[in-house]
Amino acid sequence: MTPPTPSAAAPLELTDESVEKSTTSPSPKGSESRSPGRLAWNRFKRDRTGVISACIVIFFFAIALAAPLIAKVYGKDPYTTYASQRPELLNAFAYPAGPNGGMSSEFWFGIEPQLGRDVFTFLLYGIRTSLGIALAATLLTTLLGVVVGVTAGYLGGKTDYLVGRFIDILLSFPSTLFFIAFMPVIYGLFVAPDDNIPTWLRAAALIIVLSAFGWASIARLLRGQVLGLREREFVEAAKVTGASPQRIVFKELLPNLWTPIIIQSTLMLPAFVTAEAGLAFLGVGIIDPTPDWGVMIQRGAQFYTEDFTFMLFPGLAMVIFVLAFNLLGDSVRDALDPKSKR
Amino acid sequence: MSFSRRNFMIATGVVAASSTVLTACGGSGGGSSSGGDAPKVTGSKTMDIPVGTKADSTGPAPEVAGATKGGTIYSLEQFDMDHLDPAQIYVSTEGAITVPIMRGLTGYKIDEKGGVTLVGDAATDAGTSKDGGKTWSFTLKDGLKWEDGSAVTTDDVRHTFERLFASFITEGPRYVQQWLEGGEKYKGPYDGKSLSSVEVDGKTVTFRLNEPRGDFNYTLAMRGYALVPKKHDTKEKYDKRPFSCGPYKIASRSIGKSLTYTRNPHWDPKTDAIRNNYPDKYVFEFGFQPLAATDRYIADKGNDQYAVPIFNEVAAERIAQVLTNATLKKRVLTQVDTVTYYWPINTTRIKDVKVRQAINWAWPHQQLQTIRGGASTSEIATTILSPVTPGYEKFDLYGTTKKPGGDPAKAKALLKEAGKVGQKLVIAYQQSDNAVKQAVAIKNALEAAGFTVVNKQIDKSTFYTQIGKIDNGYDLFAAGWSPDWPNGYSVFYPCWSGENIGDGRSNYAQLDDTSVNKAINTAATITDSEKANKAWGAVDRQVMELAPVVPDYHSIRNWMYGSKVGNVVYDAGNTCVALCKVYVKK
Repeated sequence: MTPPTPSAAAPLELTDESVEKSTTSPSPKGSESRSPGRLAWNRFKRDRTGVISACIVIFFFAIALAAPLIAKVYGKDPYTTYASQRPELLNAFAYPAGPNGGMSSEFWFGIEPQLGRDVFTFLLYGIRTSLGIALAATLLTTLLGVVVGVTAGYLGGKTDYLVGRFIDILLSFPSTLFFIAFMPVIYGLFVAPDDNIPTWLRAAALIIVLSAFGWASIARLLRGQVLGLREREFVEAAKVTGASPQRIVFKELLPNLWTPIIIQSTLMLPAFVTAEAGLAFLGVGIIDPTPDWGVMIQRGAQFYTEDFTFMLFPGLAMVIFVLAFNLLGDSVRDALDPKSKR
Repeated sequence: MSFSRRNFMIATGVVAASSTVLTACGGSGGGSSSGGDAPKVTGSKTMDIPVGTKADSTGPAPEVAGATKGGTIYSLEQFDMDHLDPAQIYVSTEGAITVPIMRGLTGYKIDEKGGVTLVGDAATDAGTSKDGGKTWSFTLKDGLKWEDGSAVTTDDVRHTFERLFASFITEGPRYVQQWLEGGEKYKGPYDGKSLSSVEVDGKTVTFRLNEPRGDFNYTLAMRGYALVPKKHDTKEKYDKRPFSCGPYKIASRSIGKSLTYTRNPHWDPKTDAIRNNYPDKYVFEFGFQPLAATDRYIADKGNDQYAVPIFNEVAAERIAQVLTNATLKKRVLTQVDTVTYYWPINTTRIKDVKVRQAINWAWPHQQLQTIRGGASTSEIATTILSPVTPGYEKFDLYGTTKKPGGDPAKAKALLKEAGKVGQKLVIAYQQSDNAVKQAVAIKNALEAAGFTVVNKQIDKSTFYTQIGKIDNGYDLFAAGWSPDWPNGYSVFYPCWSGENIGDGRSNYAQLDDTSVNKAINTAATITDSEKANKAWGAVDRQVMELAPVVPDYHSIRNWMYGSKVGNVVYDAGNTCVALCKVYVKK
């Protein structure tokens, strides 16, 4: 989401136009050769916080993607319980025997209490799982939210009314209870009772369930925005010139909505990472031995009095990631829409 | 002794897969003062309970030195009791929590040194037998009263035993029902018929049994045979609000949340050799997971200073913190228990002995012990009987001592021999953080030995119901058992005799082996206790040769309590903290 994509650039022009129409000062751009997208990119590059955050976020995605590669070079994997062959790694109470949670040149981030797995690779793979699920859920949620929200707002009338009530119902629904009640049913539908639930099914079910309950808020927000935009002159103008609804939605409305969409989704992604962890904790999400970031932190919270290191690394990584992602979201918004800058 | 019974584990939650909880040592029992050395199960004194005399059975109970009356005792437990009707009680927590309000004909008396004797509770002594154990008589004490002030009569006693046969009594122990003459045809007292093998004469009640039972008086000490008043028997509803004849009575109860006892003014200490009554009130609160409860015991704030646990032990995650800190350790009661946690193998699904033996060879005992919190909370088991149960014989058929981490090579060879490489195993365990970790270890170990493993987490509250079904769809599941009274019969008959297979019965492995059945029946009739113990040791080995179970561990329990609670001691008879011995420190 960092640099504005070419497709985003064109719409931005329209955004600016519309803004200019309503405001009084059509500020001349520095040089005619610069498109608004280019301008935004330049503004973003000047924002040091944004650039650093972007680097951190990219770094996280990179290590998540490259986790197997890193693990190979490092020579460990997240599934082997190293303490079972070498009981001396854990002390009598099942905590790492070495200082600092068993950190050593061999186990960089120490080893896990109880099972004695390698924390470093476990964290890498955990980030991979959690980010993958959160990213997929975010994309799906955004897509659903945009389609439903824009449609409802643009069509108005009965459609808007029905969609609006549906969203109300969905938002008032106790989604966590729903997850707990229905995930076993979903698993039961696809998996024989004496088979393991495959990890891909758990992940897919999580993504679908998270999206199914996540789109309503973004849809409602966009519907409101569209309702406002719909009556604006440029939309009227497009209608008068005989533009098809499809063109109006995609070329006239959507470009004006990029800012809320980007902001919403950058807020959503870290929220999904934590939601996914919560579900795993309730027994309906990702389960051991599949590494998971959130589950790791939950477990760490139980051990922190005796083994702080075990919580430190996943916790710190999570704080850095969520902070960076939120700052990045801010910076992108500032770059795209400088007038809203505080 | 001890009765912990089956569902001990329900409460633990995790049972064998366990969890969390267990630990040991401390304060009174083991006497290990403050060092890091944990008590060992092996070598601990066998839990033998002698039969006391008439003098032992005469009240009042000896005073606890330094104890004062007054105050309120609190408790933080995982969940509320399913049953309070004595005839429905078979879970050790339920047995433990009802000590202050229920009395049976016999009971367990704790002396100052932690020893336990079987004495008469409502009866004047621990019973007299005739005909080699086929006839038992008990004489009721004078001055026993229910909480409304009416006298406890022999009619009540008779009614207590007759109602065991009623159709709504489904959960409690079934020993007496099987042994009483004419019991198989009797349907309970509610249609006006009475059971002729329970005879009443003045203050004396006589039981006629269909087989010699030298240990009948021990059986009667189970909470399942505590007295129920004929006049106040509300049948099914009695389960919610039982009537007391002990030093306390139920003052209020909010199901799932709390239970409060206050003093029963009609109880006369002179009639009770077992119970003291120091606190004015007991308040039990439910809904605390071990970790949350442990953190509150550690913090020791407010009413938690007056809290004692019934079942919640120090959580595995906090064992290191609690046992290595001398101040905290002072508030821990550590006790070796008679329970053996094991994993029955469903013999109707895994029919090949070699496959079952392969599971035993591959089992990662040491790793599981580590996950549970290490040697201070459990000892690796190789037998079904615990080392502290009379009759225990040490043997190790599957090389556990030599290779506590499992021997995948040997297991694989056996599996190959059986032609079952890749055999699928569906493993069921109660859902908990700790159990999930154990399941990972088990899966890794068994897959290294050539099995294909499917892990199934099951909700705690329905776990025993699910694995108790005959057609349950699981191959291997976490369970455990401790003897209902200290001998082999109360372990092997309920869990390993083919006569006890059925929905909801405790022969979870569904083992039905003619020679094992025969050996159990033969050993049951031996009256000489030394010979009987030998026979039970042999039965243990015989069962283990068929490998219908993987013995996992013997438990060492660590209970932590508040700083203002005095005299927290172990009640070996009910395998729990002795509620009627504690007092509030001023």
